[in-house]
Amino acid sequence: MRTSGLVLALVIVMIASLAAQDNKPKTVGGCPAEPLAFHTCALEKAKTFTPPRTRSGKPDLQGYWRGQLSQSFSMEGVSGSEPLVGDKVMPWTISPPMIVDPPDRKIPYQPWAVPIGKIGVNYKEYVDPRTACGGAGVPRLAQQDANHIVQPDGDRFVVWLFEDHHVQRVIAMDERPPLGDGITVTNGDSRGRWEGNTMVIDSKNFNGYNWLDDSGNFYTDTAHIVERLTMIDADTLDYEVRVEDPKVFTRPWTMAWAQVRVKEPGFELLEEACREGQRDVDSLLQQGLKYYFGNPWRGR
Amino acid sequence: MRYGLTCAWMAALLSLPAAPAIAQASASTRTSDGKPNLQGIWQVLNTAAWDIQDHAARLGVPAGQGVVVGNEIPYQPAALAKKRANFDNRATADPESKGYLPGVPRIMYMPFPFQIFQTPDHVVMVFEYDRGVRTIYTNGTPHPRGPLNFWMGDSRGRWDGDTLVSDVLYFTDETWLDRAGNFHSEALHLVERYTLADPDHINYEVTVEDPDVFTRPWTMRMVLYRRKEPNVRVLEYDPGRLIDEAQASRR
Repeated sequence: MRTSGLVLALVIVMIASLAAQDNKPKTVGGCPAEPLAFHTCALEKAKTFTPPRTRSGKPDLQGYWRGQLSQSFSMEGVSGSEPLVGDKVMPWTISPPMIVDPPDRKIPYQPWAVPIGKIGVNYKEYVDPRTACGGAGVPRLAQQDANHIVQPDGDRFVVWLFEDHHVQRVIAMDERPPLGDGITVTNGDSRGRWEGNTMVIDSKNFNGYNWLDDSGNFYTDTAHIVERLTMIDADTLDYEVRVEDPKVFTRPWTMAWAQVRVKEPGFELLEEACREGQRDVDSLLQQGLKYYFGNPWRGR
Repeated sequence: MRYGLTCAWMAALLSLPAAPAIAQASASTRTSDGKPNLQGIWQVLNTAAWDIQDHAARLGVPAGQGVVVGNEIPYQPAALAKKRANFDNRATADPESKGYLPGVPRIMYMPFPFQIFQTPDHVVMVFEYDRGVRTIYTNGTPHPRGPLNFWMGDSRGRWDGDTLVSDVLYFTDETWLDRAGNFHSEALHLVERYTLADPDHINYEVTVEDPDVFTRPWTMRMVLYRRKEPNVRVLEYDPGRLIDEAQASRR
C-alpha cells in the first residue's frame, strides 16, 4: 500500500512536471518568462507593489508556492545540442539558463572545478544526492515541487517547508549569534532579515553535499548563499539566489526564477518519504556509481 | 584576578534584566490570537526512546521509569508474541536502524530537540531527528479521505480550552514505538494533548488506539522541557545519510 502510494505520487509529480514543461507560460506575474527578462521586470514591478502584512507589520509571504520558469537539468540552461535532450529514459528539455549574472550566464568555476561540474565527474561517477534521498538542497529545493512559507506568530522565525523529501528550513529573523564554524548542516545556518519588502536569507555552514542541478553542478562547505524573496503581485514571488564560494568559483554569481502561488482549493503539502520507499540507489551503486559526500572537492 | 572576577560577576548581574530578551523564556504565554503559546524548542528528559515501559539498565540503555500510564500495554496475545520477537531482533529489525522516519509518537520522545511554531491555521513541528516535520492543521479541516499511509500520519488539531488536541490517523505498519520492539499497525489512531503547565513545561499526553494490536486504548504521559540555552538551535541529524556515509567509508 505504502509503496504503491509513493510510486503513484512520483508518477503524478513526473506527469505534472512534464506537463508544466510542455506548456510553458509566455509570461509569469505579467513579466516575460525568460529568467533574466523575468527577473529584470520583476524587480521593477516590485517597486510599485505593496504586499499584505502580518499582524506585526512584516510583508506576508505565507502560503503554498511552486517554482516556475525553472528546470533542474542544468542551471546553465539546456541547448538543442545537448545529448541528453534525446534521452529515452529521462529526456532533458531545451530551456534557457537560470543564471542572471554573470552576463555570459555560465557558472564561474575555477579551472580545477570545470571538469567536475556540468555532466562531469559528479554526474558520471556519483549518485545524485537527491536520488539518494538527501533532498535537493538550497536552491534546487525551490524549483518544481511545491513549498510552503509559514511566518509564525511573533515574526522571530520564518519556516520554509518543502514537499521534496520533507525538507524544512528554519530561518531565524533575529540577531542571535551565528553557529560556530564546526557545525555544518545540509541546507546551512539561515539567518533572515527584511530589506524593505524583501525577505533576505543569508546562509552559511553548509556541509557541501548538495548539487545545484541534475547535471552535477555544485558548491562546497565554504558556500555563502544569499536568497532574496520579493512579492511582485499577490500571487508571484521573485526568487533570487546569489552564490559565493571562494573554494570553487572565481566570483559571486546569481540565479533567479519565479515562485507562483498554488491556488488549488484545499491544497496541502503531502509527505514525501524517500529513503523509506526508494528502490533505485542499490542498482546505481551496482553500476559503479558512488554516494556523493563531496569527495571530488574534499581536501581543497 | 579577584577584582576581575568580581567585575565579571557584577556585569553579569547588571545584564540580567536584558538577558531574557534573547532567552527563550521571553516568549509570551499567549499568541496574538489568544491561544497558549507553545512556540520554542522542546525536548523530553526521559528514556522512552529506549523503552516506553519500566525497565532496568541494559548495556547502553539507561534504566527508566516508563511513560505508559499504569505501565501495562494491553497487547492482544498474538501481538504480544510479536512484540517479544521484535525485542529479541531489535538490533536489525528496529526501523530506526535503517534510518527511516520514526513515526508518531516515537519522534516526540527521541533524545533530540524539536521546535514548535504556531499560526492561527497550523502548529508546525520541526525535528532535529531526520529533519522530520509535522504540520498539525488547526484551521478546522478534517482528515482527508483515506485510505492513506504516511510515516508521520495526518494530524488535525483543535483547541480544547487551553489544550491543543491533535487527532492523528493514516500510518504505516512499519514504524515502532520504541527501541524495545513495541509496535502498532496501520490502524493506529492517536489523540495527543499538549497543555502548557508553565512557560517552560508542556504536559504531553497521547492516547494510543489500534484495534488490530491492542485490546483497548492506552495512554502515555510525559513532560516536554523547554531548551533554554540562549542560542539553542535545532540542528540536523540525518540518520539515512549518516548510515550511507558510514557504509561508504567501509567499502
